[in-house]
Amino acid sequence: MIRLVHAELLKIRTTKTWWIFGICLFVFTALAATFWLFLANDTINSVASGGSFLPPTSDGGPPDGGPPAGGSHELDRALVFAAANIYTAGQYFGLLFVMVLGTLLVTNEYYHQTATATFLTTPRRTSVIGAKLITAMIAAAVFWLSTTAVSLTAGAIFFSAKGYDTQLGEWPVTRALLLNGLAYALWGVLGVGLGVLIRNQIGAVITGAASYIIGTQIVQGIVFAIGLVLHEDWIFKTLVAWPAVASNVMVSTEQVYPGSPAWWVGALVLVGHAVLFGTVGTAIMRRRDIA
Amino acid sequence: MTEGQIVVEGLTKQYKQLRAVDDLSFTVEGGRVTGFLGPNGAGKTTTLRMLLNLVTPTAGTATIGGHRYADLSDPLRTVGAILEASSAHRARTGRNHLRVICEVAGLPARRADEVLELVGLTPAAKRKFKGYSLGMRQRLGIAAALLGNPRVLVLDEPANGLDPEGIRWMRDLLRGLAAQGRTILVSSHLLSEMEQLADDVVIIASGQLVVQGPLDQVLTSMSSGAQVRVRTPEPAKLAAALAELGASVSPSSDGAMLVAGVEAPAVGAAALRAGVELHELVAEKADLEDVFLQLTQGRAAIR
Repeated sequence: MIRLVHAELLKIRTTKTWWIFGICLFVFTALAATFWLFLANDTINSVASGGSFLPPTSDGGPPDGGPPAGGSHELDRALVFAAANIYTAGQYFGLLFVMVLGTLLVTNEYYHQTATATFLTTPRRTSVIGAKLITAMIAAAVFWLSTTAVSLTAGAIFFSAKGYDTQLGEWPVTRALLLNGLAYALWGVLGVGLGVLIRNQIGAVITGAASYIIGTQIVQGIVFAIGLVLHEDWIFKTLVAWPAVASNVMVSTEQVYPGSPAWWVGALVLVGHAVLFGTVGTAIMRRRDIA
Repeated sequence: MTEGQIVVEGLTKQYKQLRAVDDLSFTVEGGRVTGFLGPNGAGKTTTLRMLLNLVTPTAGTATIGGHRYADLSDPLRTVGAILEASSAHRARTGRNHLRVICEVAGLPARRADEVLELVGLTPAAKRKFKGYSLGMRQRLGIAAALLGNPRVLVLDEPANGLDPEGIRWMRDLLRGLAAQGRTILVSSHLLSEMEQLADDVVIIASGQLVVQGPLDQVLTSMSSGAQVRVRTPEPAKLAAALAELGASVSPSSDGAMLVAGVEAPAVGAAALRAGVELHELVAEKADLEDVFLQLTQGRAAIR
């Protein structure tokens, strides 16, 4: 298994894909971090000068259910929210890239007709797909570490320049940072599963990217429409079932949308999707004829 | 059972509309080159892919040295395969392509350089696969098949895309490998090439076995309608002599005579007795192409 993972990593390293992805992701992360830095700057300045921190939680109070706090509590929340956003900057594109990379790990075998050689070398199909899942997670971890290095540096400079703590001691911030890593790994798994389901390279990549970018908008629109028509709040909660929303929910210190569930619900949903995609992908790969 | 023997038993593959391979059984012995022949669409590639666990059979088994390919603990050191669709990532160099396989099979990376040398690809080792000619791609496929120094080689149309020099190189290579006691199963539709290369043949059509056996035996058994070509300045005199033996004589287009019904020595003896001068006396054995077409007649149709 270790040899198979080594081989899969060698496959990634011996083509240019990984560093093209890496450069793009670096640029996107830098842009995203810049965006969040500007936003955080505005929010913190306004809260520090006595404004209220938005968005509020659904019941209008802080998450612990205590009485609405004064300015210093508001500022703490604003700082934590800003820090979590900055330190997970680039997640939107990062997850997309990791998913596409996972997909390519599988579809490349069909596109370049190397599936034959791969399965001749390792007739045990489960091991092959297992190695691809592990490889996707390793690659995801590397991308997560690099984007986090960029955003941590930017964030730390920002907070110290403004005279605040880096917020890294705050559990919600640390949690967001670590869960962001989990999200990267799980999206790598989703990508591999997608690649098994849709063998066609271009088809799989377009389906994945379109579901992630456009599909998320459509699903949000539909769920909100149904919820508003039926006047049922619980319908909003179901939105977390969509992987892209779940990843967002699990790294946010505040509500992502009105009525959004707690971070751990997002994490569980995403783990569930990854297990489903990984299992279905493995089952299909075991039975499929390689022609 | 010898170590490198391939045994196919009752192998069947049913696709939705098509029975691609239909209750096929044959054996392939070690130390010999076995030609696997059949018209296009006969099921050759499907059979080889089932042998290599790439396609799941509907029924039947295919084993190599008594084991299914999927059960081999070290497949690359047991079987080397080149299939029609063998390929590599376009942007990866030939050497790196082999290194990935070495990595999986637990072979040292220097094996990649050794087999590249063996197939004459060393100068192109660091070029990307997309720049390879068809012949170079086939050589890379053969290099990959030889990485684990396997005792069984399965090749699907290996001569495709090779130039005459490449074909001769391939023939010599395969003959040499068979002489070392390895099992070589090679599919092809280049019959003249097979006639020079194969010791045994397995001929299939419409997914079913037509004939299997040593090439000479298959050719002889199908040569009952064979003729003797004879050339003489006195055709009428010889024809009369041959008629007494019960042979039938017909003129050939180039002025020679074609004699059927008697063997060449009898023709020679008849000529001697009749005092007829001979310029040519050839026993025309059916070649593989004749036999193949005869055996697969009407079964090569698109199914």
